[in-house]
Amino acid sequence: MYPSNFEYMRPKTLEEAIELISSMEGSRVLAGGQSLLSMMKLRIFEPSSLIDIGFIPELKHVKLEDKHKVRIGAMVNHHEILDNPIVRENLPMLSSTAEKIADLQVRNRGTIGGSICEADPAADYLPTLMALNAKVHLKSKSEERSLDIEEFIKGPFETEIQDGEILTEVEIEKNTENFAVEKYARRKADFAVASVAASARLAKDGKVEYIRVAIGATSEGPKRLKDIESSIIGKTSAQLDLGQIIQNTISKIDMISDLHGGSEYRKYVLSGMLMRMLESLITKGRQR
Amino acid sequence: MVTVSMKVNGKNYSGEVEPRTLLVHFIRDNLKLKGTHIGCDTAHCGACTILWNGEPVKSCQILAVQAEGADLTTVEGLELEDGKYSIEQESFREHSAMQCGYCTPGFLMMTRYLIRNNPEMTRDEIREQLHGNYCMCTGYQQIVDAVQDAQRKFIKSRK
Repeated sequence: MYPSNFEYMRPKTLEEAIELISSMEGSRVLAGGQSLLSMMKLRIFEPSSLIDIGFIPELKHVKLEDKHKVRIGAMVNHHEILDNPIVRENLPMLSSTAEKIADLQVRNRGTIGGSICEADPAADYLPTLMALNAKVHLKSKSEERSLDIEEFIKGPFETEIQDGEILTEVEIEKNTENFAVEKYARRKADFAVASVAASARLAKDGKVEYIRVAIGATSEGPKRLKDIESSIIGKTSAQLDLGQIIQNTISKIDMISDLHGGSEYRKYVLSGMLMRMLESLITKGRQR
Repeated sequence: MVTVSMKVNGKNYSGEVEPRTLLVHFIRDNLKLKGTHIGCDTAHCGACTILWNGEPVKSCQILAVQAEGADLTTVEGLELEDGKYSIEQESFREHSAMQCGYCTPGFLMMTRYLIRNNPEMTRDEIREQLHGNYCMCTGYQQIVDAVQDAQRKFIKSRK
């Protein structure tokens, strides 16, 4: 399958890339191409030009700043994220998520920036990035700004990125709280039927001091479940009716309905995952 | 048209391509290296797996122009210089590790990568690592046998 034809640009610096993208109408940024090329083969996208940011060294860094802030360049691939010592040590939840993405060959090409900009509602990174409160940095010719991932992702395949902007970096605060990341799919490399990313910390008396829960594969895109968080925070597991709390929230959510699973089936799977994962996090603590 | 240059199996190549040319088409049609197969054309089946600077990738999901300057190995690059089979090929032959055979080039490339990066893998770990190459056939038993055998041969060859 050939994509329709396009003009190809290969900038060597970020500045050059931004110049190109702001001057060429109908262009798209090509990162690793693991999602974009599929869409182009199916002619869902027919960009008039592609700006390949794969040859720009300044987008490939992983840095730890002031011992608590991790900065990951947009072109860092999934395999590097699961393998990188800085990420493994400071954001184990993120490297554990990267391990669940597709297969080895795809992880060697697919990038974190590309995955975020694609905003697939069932993408593996997004619930984790929401649970980690990640920020994305965007750069255009006239402006540089950063947005919380929750603001950036507007819905399925929809983001806040404006014409002329490039996502350059993801910034995440060090987070080594207990966590659980799970994806359910019939075959491992498939998109998730349901996915959950959660992390929590318990006080000495067993009360939940900190909790984050986010899910993927809903019809509105990835979502943080703030209702569940606020019902759990400050309580011990004995004081909670988790089943009821989860049902109250899930009943209000619409899941994707397609050949991999209908909405009702996905809700059923999701409830089970949430129940098991949250129970373990707020009673025993550490879980991988 | 765009000029693209890359190293394939140790030789330098360059050619003129339309930007939309997929790397797998460049390898098969321009370089006439027909060992790399096109199966699903959607990055699922892994028959088009090649090594890119030593790491496995799916060449149907990459544009030829993205491979500018890359060092690639295709299944033709496995054979030893004197025409003898490599460890991977020999192990696959001994264990009859083909099913319909279409996916074999991809599995061979994965085996080359896996035995060099983690020659101590268990059967379960091998199955896990190979999941980007599962296609439609049956249980992959002989393929896993062959990878294990290749691991043993590789470890022995280093001693």
